[in-house]
Amino acid sequence: MNAVVLTPAMVGQVIISGILAGALYAMVALGLALIFGVMRVINVAHGPLLMLGAYGTYFLWQATGVNPYYTLPVTMAALFLVGVLLQRTLVFRVVDAPELSSLLLTFGISIALVNLAQLAFTSDLRAVEFLTASFRVGPFALSKSRLVAFLVAAVITAGAFLFLQRSRLGKAIRATSQSREVALVCGIDVPRIHLLTFGLASALAAAGGTLIAVIVAIQPDMGQVWTFKSFLVIVLGGAGNYPGALVGGLLLGLVEQLASLFLTTQLSEAVAYVLLVLVLLVRPTGLLGGRQT
Amino acid sequence: MTLKTLGCLTLVAAVAAGSVPAAAQGPIRIGASLSLTGTYAEPGRFQSEGYKLCEKDLNAKGGLLGRKVEFVVYDDQSRPDTGIRVYEKLITEDKVDAVMGPYSSAISEAVANVTEKYRKVMVAPLAATTSIFKKGRRYIFMIVSPAEVYLEGLVDIAARRGYKTIAIVNEDTLFPKASAQGTEELARKAGLKVVFKEAYPKGNQDFSGLLTKLKAANPDVVAAGTYFDDAVALARQMKELDVNPKMVGVTVGGDIPKFQDMLKQTAEYIYGSSQWEPTLPYPGAREFHDAYEKEFKHEPSYHAAAGYSGCMVYAEAVKKAGGLDSEKVREALLGLKLRTMFGDFQVDKDGAQVAHKAVLLQWQEGKRVVVWPDELANGKPRFPR
Repeated sequence: MNAVVLTPAMVGQVIISGILAGALYAMVALGLALIFGVMRVINVAHGPLLMLGAYGTYFLWQATGVNPYYTLPVTMAALFLVGVLLQRTLVFRVVDAPELSSLLLTFGISIALVNLAQLAFTSDLRAVEFLTASFRVGPFALSKSRLVAFLVAAVITAGAFLFLQRSRLGKAIRATSQSREVALVCGIDVPRIHLLTFGLASALAAAGGTLIAVIVAIQPDMGQVWTFKSFLVIVLGGAGNYPGALVGGLLLGLVEQLASLFLTTQLSEAVAYVLLVLVLLVRPTGLLGGRQT
Repeated sequence: MTLKTLGCLTLVAAVAAGSVPAAAQGPIRIGASLSLTGTYAEPGRFQSEGYKLCEKDLNAKGGLLGRKVEFVVYDDQSRPDTGIRVYEKLITEDKVDAVMGPYSSAISEAVANVTEKYRKVMVAPLAATTSIFKKGRRYIFMIVSPAEVYLEGLVDIAARRGYKTIAIVNEDTLFPKASAQGTEELARKAGLKVVFKEAYPKGNQDFSGLLTKLKAANPDVVAAGTYFDDAVALARQMKELDVNPKMVGVTVGGDIPKFQDMLKQTAEYIYGSSQWEPTLPYPGAREFHDAYEKEFKHEPSYHAAAGYSGCMVYAEAVKKAGGLDSEKVREALLGLKLRTMFGDFQVDKDGAQVAHKAVLLQWQEGKRVVVWPDELANGKPRFPR
């Protein structure tokens, strides 16, 4: 019945979609990778933090009518503070604890955030109607909102890498993730680095939220799927390996889209997880290897 | 024990005296689980408000059997497994006197096993899939017209206009699947060729791959077995990917006022199936709309009207049966023939609806216009370009 013949143009279209989505995955997952790399904490609340960012954009846009992309610095700054606060009050307690404790704690934070959001914002579906059309380039349709998301995510991700690579603080973060003891001996204020890391990671999630709010409708439990995707990305790329998040993100975006073209939408998620199992079997440390930075 | 006996005696005495004083007994508690959060929250909350308004209206008229009516509602998070737990709890722990159905076919199907086990009559106002009622269940009753014909109007208009091809997509759960299959059969009968068909998982937000294929199949008509969230996402992404068929129809979502609030111009020309509209010529439809708007500060959708009507139908059957006994209420429902603000009610021997009619509406200049069937229409379908 499905007499659809796949043409190169269609494959091109989904590759474009995959790359556009992949950059966003990479940016959001980089936050998860940072926290894991520095503290060995798997932050299950990463997606719900992204959800808060999305709501921030929605409400600012609703209240002021500004271009929703202008809310980016505000949501990032706000979520940076939320992240710092979470680290300062809760997460620091589990940094040295077994990984199960940190999973339980962040899982609890995640549930709390989603339910608070349901109380505060109700579970109404909301959408930021902005940039809904697309550019046509030859046979391809380029969604404007996804294109902007791609560009902004690429810039932010590049900025984050530059920061980690070049700046003193970035170097301190990488040093801490390589060896906390040595970092401590070298005079790095490790608890402060932890605060900064969690703040930065939350800001990255917030940026994801802002960009996604313009693409899909938002609701309080939109975040969990982003936790899973980010987790998938960092395992694919190599947990704690920051460039790995980039590779993993693009790979996940492409695999999802190609699978939904060649197979079905239903199978595309399964394919992503099969890929995860394969990577774990063949290269348990991820495609780029584990946590060297 | 003695208290219970005493209460029982009082009841017997009161019945013997010919009237049950409202104060002598507690309220009739009706339990239900509804999707107040999660993927089905949008229609689920309309249904919940429908129940609430029914409770209010019944109580304003002296309650049911002389007792006050009180709804006990829990959130099932749009999940069948949670729904099952809720009905178990309602029946065994809360010991409610009666139950009403949850939102969606999938959750009704799941919880029907619980309500049947305890022999509780369940009017399921938002279970549209016929198969639920054809499994030899005794106590479940249908209000809306079946899933299989939700998009009959879309197919009919397309065929009359001479369109040749149709693409059918659906969420892979009970109701959307049944409506996709029903639409496929209707389309074949009407001489339309099904050029593309694909299901997607519940909660799916990215339709790029699916729509890329759909676009290549170049159908005249797109029929989608959706709920609200996916209907919104599909409409947005069709625009993003420049997919422009001549007609697009969705099963659920297109009827909800927020569809247009969220999508604005993107909603234009989209068809939605509806089981009820305030403009339809049913007794009390307009009054229900106004009372609802006054109570909840927004317009009702058909889910709200179905919930309200289902609750009223149940109350009517209880009155006819003269009590809450499952067998008697069941008999009463099987024999009931009603025309409410929601339209007609009559079920076959399995409890499946045979009288109610669905309509098709279209978004035209930001308004819902009923375009099918002709005898209920208040406008003509419009076509882009």
